[in-house]
Amino acid sequence: MKKVITGNHAVSYGALLARSQVIAAYPITPQTQIVELLSEFCASGKLNAKFIKVESEHSAMTACIAASATGARTFTATSSHGLALMHEMLHWAAAARLPVVLANVNRAMGPGWSVWTDQNDSLSQRDLGWIQLYCESNQEVLDTTIQAFKIAEKVLLPVMVVLDAFVLSHTSEPVDIPEQTLVDKFLPPYDLKTKLDLSAAKSYGALTNPDHYFEIRYKIQKAHDEALHVIKDVDNDFYEHFGRKYGVVEAYRCEDAKVIVVTSGTISGTTRGVIDEMREQGRKVGMLKQKLLRPTPVDELRSILYKAQKIAVIDRNLSFGHSGIFAQEIKSTLYGLAGAPPIYDYVIGLGGRDVTPDDIREIIDNTFKAESPRDTIIWRGVRL
Amino acid sequence: MKWLEKYKVQVPILEKESDYPNWAISMTTTLLNHTGTWRIFRPIYLNKIPPCNNECPTNEKIQSYMDLVKQDKLLEAYKLILEDNPFPSITGRVCYHPCETECNRKDYDESIGIHCVERFIGDWGLKKVPFAKPATKRKVSIAIIGSGPAGMASAYYLALNGFNVTIFEKKAKLGGMLRYGIPAYRLPKKVLDNEFKKLITLGVKFRTSSLVGKDITLDNLRKNFDFVIIGHGAHKNRPMVIPNEEASGVFSGLDFLSQINSGKRPKIGKKVAIIGGGNTAIDAARSCLRLGSIPTILYRRTRAEMPAVSDEIDAAEAEGIKIEFLVAPVKITVTKKGKLTGIELIKMKLGRPDASGRRRPVPVEKSNFTLKFDSIISAIGEQVDLSILSADITKTEWGVKADFIGRTNIQNIFAIGDCVTGPKTVVEAFGAGKRTALQIMGNADKIQHKVERPVQYSELNLDYFEHTQKVPPPQMPVAVRKKNFKEVHTGYSNVNAKNESERCFSCGVCNKCDNCFVVCPDLSVLKDTGEYEFDYDYCKGCGVCAHECPRYAITMIEESKAEVE
Repeated sequence: MKKVITGNHAVSYGALLARSQVIAAYPITPQTQIVELLSEFCASGKLNAKFIKVESEHSAMTACIAASATGARTFTATSSHGLALMHEMLHWAAAARLPVVLANVNRAMGPGWSVWTDQNDSLSQRDLGWIQLYCESNQEVLDTTIQAFKIAEKVLLPVMVVLDAFVLSHTSEPVDIPEQTLVDKFLPPYDLKTKLDLSAAKSYGALTNPDHYFEIRYKIQKAHDEALHVIKDVDNDFYEHFGRKYGVVEAYRCEDAKVIVVTSGTISGTTRGVIDEMREQGRKVGMLKQKLLRPTPVDELRSILYKAQKIAVIDRNLSFGHSGIFAQEIKSTLYGLAGAPPIYDYVIGLGGRDVTPDDIREIIDNTFKAESPRDTIIWRGVRL
Repeated sequence: MKWLEKYKVQVPILEKESDYPNWAISMTTTLLNHTGTWRIFRPIYLNKIPPCNNECPTNEKIQSYMDLVKQDKLLEAYKLILEDNPFPSITGRVCYHPCETECNRKDYDESIGIHCVERFIGDWGLKKVPFAKPATKRKVSIAIIGSGPAGMASAYYLALNGFNVTIFEKKAKLGGMLRYGIPAYRLPKKVLDNEFKKLITLGVKFRTSSLVGKDITLDNLRKNFDFVIIGHGAHKNRPMVIPNEEASGVFSGLDFLSQINSGKRPKIGKKVAIIGGGNTAIDAARSCLRLGSIPTILYRRTRAEMPAVSDEIDAAEAEGIKIEFLVAPVKITVTKKGKLTGIELIKMKLGRPDASGRRRPVPVEKSNFTLKFDSIISAIGEQVDLSILSADITKTEWGVKADFIGRTNIQNIFAIGDCVTGPKTVVEAFGAGKRTALQIMGNADKIQHKVERPVQYSELNLDYFEHTQKVPPPQMPVAVRKKNFKEVHTGYSNVNAKNESERCFSCGVCNKCDNCFVVCPDLSVLKDTGEYEFDYDYCKGCGVCAHECPRYAITMIEESKAEVE
């Protein structure tokens, strides 16, 4: 059944169809609508879940961790400062190997106070052990939310589904809402093997001395390695059930492309249009949409990007003192490959400043023209 | 590894990463993690000296018997006191209780009523507990000169340990100053008689009406006994050295008290002046009152310098006895026929401190005045009669020269009590008697000395104590008591004694309050053996137990200085 819904509500429907059992969340713009609708689902009995009101995001994640540790399918949503406040417990969820699913609406961090989009909030949580999936459309948001539970439960890692503030969260699009029965087939109930069990009490998350800590950390990395395959399998499985798939990355018109633009989130949608237009003009340009940030899809990135002559990375984020974060990711992925193309890092649209087709066109033109990338960062749309 | 053995813990083998759980979940027990290795300080149970015990001249284990009373273990409490003081019914009445003066609780609300608890236990024991008999008999003979408190204490411990003790007493009855000096309203004769039964049961031989120096010589005793203990006290009245001191109607304080205590009624007039500020003066004044006279105490310094026990001065004042301060006698006034009319006094002021640290009274010139009295009692101090001593015994300005243990310059001759120190207290004489007994018994190592620093108030954790009031020592109303020689203080009941003992901080001594056991965040206080022990396998040395110990019975020591187990 198709419905015109916002990106936020697409998340809500995803969590509903996944039959979340515990939801603990604290409101924050631009995420609030997600849990608002979920609380309505819970109140009306449409969703049989325990909705836990908490006094902060830190508590929200703590409640999710505890719930998840009992084996319940657990969901939360947040944004920006809320995600930052969760930080300590985000570590916990990952290191406790709990399959919590979290939707983060990308919102710029204050101060200056902002409710508009950029990616610094979620990218600040890159190194904790969470799987991160960036979405382009409302349909992708819904589908990814459902997939996220399956991925999380298979590899026992928490998954973050990421969508842009307002551009996606508050923008309505027609979305195909899958049948519950079909979702149930795709995502059956699961059983957590090691869960809180009163009949076999154990100490959970207790002191781990240097003799043992390292191996447990190694296992998190191993789970990420496994996740690379699982995410693709789940995506294929999803395709078989619902006829839609996204890939860990999407190569759009990259065959014979001299310049490949690397994008994430809604900028991919804008770029897609510009690529079509430039292709019509005979320009050999393509786009690589990076949906999966962690674990890093190294093979996919290398095999697609290696063929280009130049790579332009569009970063709606910044690691202060260095460069755009996706650019760093691409650089480290390609490092050591003989003849790897030069990488141009465009930082653009921080704090929700518009990223227009003209901006993308200029970025592509500039990349074609440029001899070699002189600066670490090429600033776009900022008054210098 | 006590715990690991106890629970038969199997240590899991974790050889490779696949042996590990996904996250930090206990596989056996956290007991495998010996957190004790992190410790740089360790707590140890270390009992310290409470100020009460430290201050007690007989080193009574006050804190310990308070704890026993609290637990209703009166027999144990009584026996514990007797280890250090054979006659608690006496000290429980007449001791100046420095224990209470030093009690840390006084800084919190009010000191513990130790004195009254001691009396309660002493009286309970006299009534309920059979008198001890000597364990073994030894062929060592001891002669003790004087049956006062010093000799009594020595006799008790020596006889208890099988020594053959004979006491030589110049008076007809036993007890020395206890019988003849202290009035019955403070120490009933019956109590004294009962306490003496302990010595009688122990087989101590008494030779009353035997004045050494007259009826028998010291040399004789030295020949016939293995040891001689001199404890004949200080019974000689110090003369005032003023005109007409010999007039009829002038009494010496001790003679006056002695007459009353012998059942006689001294012939005193209506208005009586008592000269002096010590215990004898107070006793004489209060006795006068009870004989129907109007006593006035004349003292040359002020209240602060009075050597009498503060409680006794309070009692005298409560009974309406007037004390004139800063006056000194110049002469006794008499008629031409020699009849006493009164006393001429001179006003005094306080000058520089003297050798005792008290400010010396200085006469105010031309301030003489006269007061009318019918009788005068001189109680300005007592001296030791040194005439009984042989020439070879070294003496001091005021008495026999002897050390803390009672040793004189001559082997096997000891001297104890007031005859060494000049007029002091009953409890100090008990202490001296005990020390000499220990020395003769060959237990010199058990002689206790005061420590410089007993447990301080600041070392306690007062959060654990509620403010409570001391049970006031019960006593007869003034109107009733001043008319007779019945005992003023009526003593604590069992309930009173228990209430008081429950107030005891137990300074520096573990009384098994369980606080350390409860607060230890590492469950490292063990009680398996019935005693508290630290489990150093797991104790991190955080110090919470020591900090939270209400009574400073736990000390933190550097790990490097701890004994290697």
